[in-house]
Amino acid sequence: MATTTNSHSEHDRMEHARATRYWVVWVALLAGTVATFLLSRVHLPSPFNLLVALFIACTKSALVVLFFMHLWDHGGANRLVFATSIVFVTLLIGLVVLDNATRFTLTNPGRGPTLQMEPPGPDILTPRGPPEPATRPDVPPVAEPGRGAGIPAPEPAR
Amino acid sequence: MQPEAYVAHHFPNLRQQEHAARLGMWLFLATEILLFAGLFTAYSVYRFLFSDAFKAASERLSAPLGTLNTVILITSSLTVALAHHWAHHGRGKAAAVSLLVTLLFAASFLVIKGFEWTHDFHEGLLPGRYYASTELTVTGAPMFFTVYFLMTGLHGLHVVVGMVVLSVIMVQCWLGRYDHGYVTPVELGGMYWHLVDLIWIFLYPLLYLI
Repeated sequence: MATTTNSHSEHDRMEHARATRYWVVWVALLAGTVATFLLSRVHLPSPFNLLVALFIACTKSALVVLFFMHLWDHGGANRLVFATSIVFVTLLIGLVVLDNATRFTLTNPGRGPTLQMEPPGPDILTPRGPPEPATRPDVPPVAEPGRGAGIPAPEPAR
Repeated sequence: MQPEAYVAHHFPNLRQQEHAARLGMWLFLATEILLFAGLFTAYSVYRFLFSDAFKAASERLSAPLGTLNTVILITSSLTVALAHHWAHHGRGKAAAVSLLVTLLFAASFLVIKGFEWTHDFHEGLLPGRYYASTELTVTGAPMFFTVYFLMTGLHGLHVVVGMVVLSVIMVQCWLGRYDHGYVTPVELGGMYWHLVDLIWIFLYPLLYLI
């Protein structure tokens, strides 16, 4: 079979590999854990805390997958299977979060953040930004200078 | 048993059988990754919608205990890799001892998790409709704990399953059943354990270090 030569050299590589590589990877993983913990105490600004933590987690995972799970030694279909699962996880989480992130104002629970897109009007080719505060239903109108302080804005007619 | 005696009749030789076993295990691990991906999606959506609540809720968890658990699982991955290495070289007793150490680490992981959970129960930080904390009342905080208990619970279940699998393999190693000719069970059981560690590597920063 054509696979036997390939499998013999893979097998020999595993046979001759020393155990030191596992200890080295272990130290690297511990260093990554310490780094994640310390960087979290630094309180980086908003998207970066998540991105840095995920980057370190991905690096640690790569080390575990490549060396502890021997994906470095055994190539081929195993790598494809693993990579495919990662692609689908990324699609799943990415698109679902994007769905939530691009909802219009007031459609997210808890007045959650949105990308502040105005729904397209009849002329959908004209780009629009967010509406002026005066015309938005959820933001109270700014008090005009002539008004007395503390007088509440009139209730909209029902 | 001679290594060739392990070959099933539909494989031409042992190496082919090993390759098939490894590929089959990777396929199974891919499905496990996707299983947890569903929960990670729930986490991502709720974290996006309730970012302040998640930050506040994450502070109620003990980051030192989470870090300790991470170190424990990483070290257990090392001992499993060493067990596979020694079994591959015919050193069954060393492999069995290494697997015993792995099981002890796994048990201590579960004990620490138990402490964390009971502490959360006492504070009323419970999943779903059982949430009863009077101190943490930001909208969305209960969703953090729902996701937290579901994810760490499912992960803990996988730890228990992994412990059962590794115990069986440990006994077989001690009895000298594996050597460089046939070490597939140790390899596949080890892969399952590494996946458990992999999932925790992502759970730790997302739950404890927001």
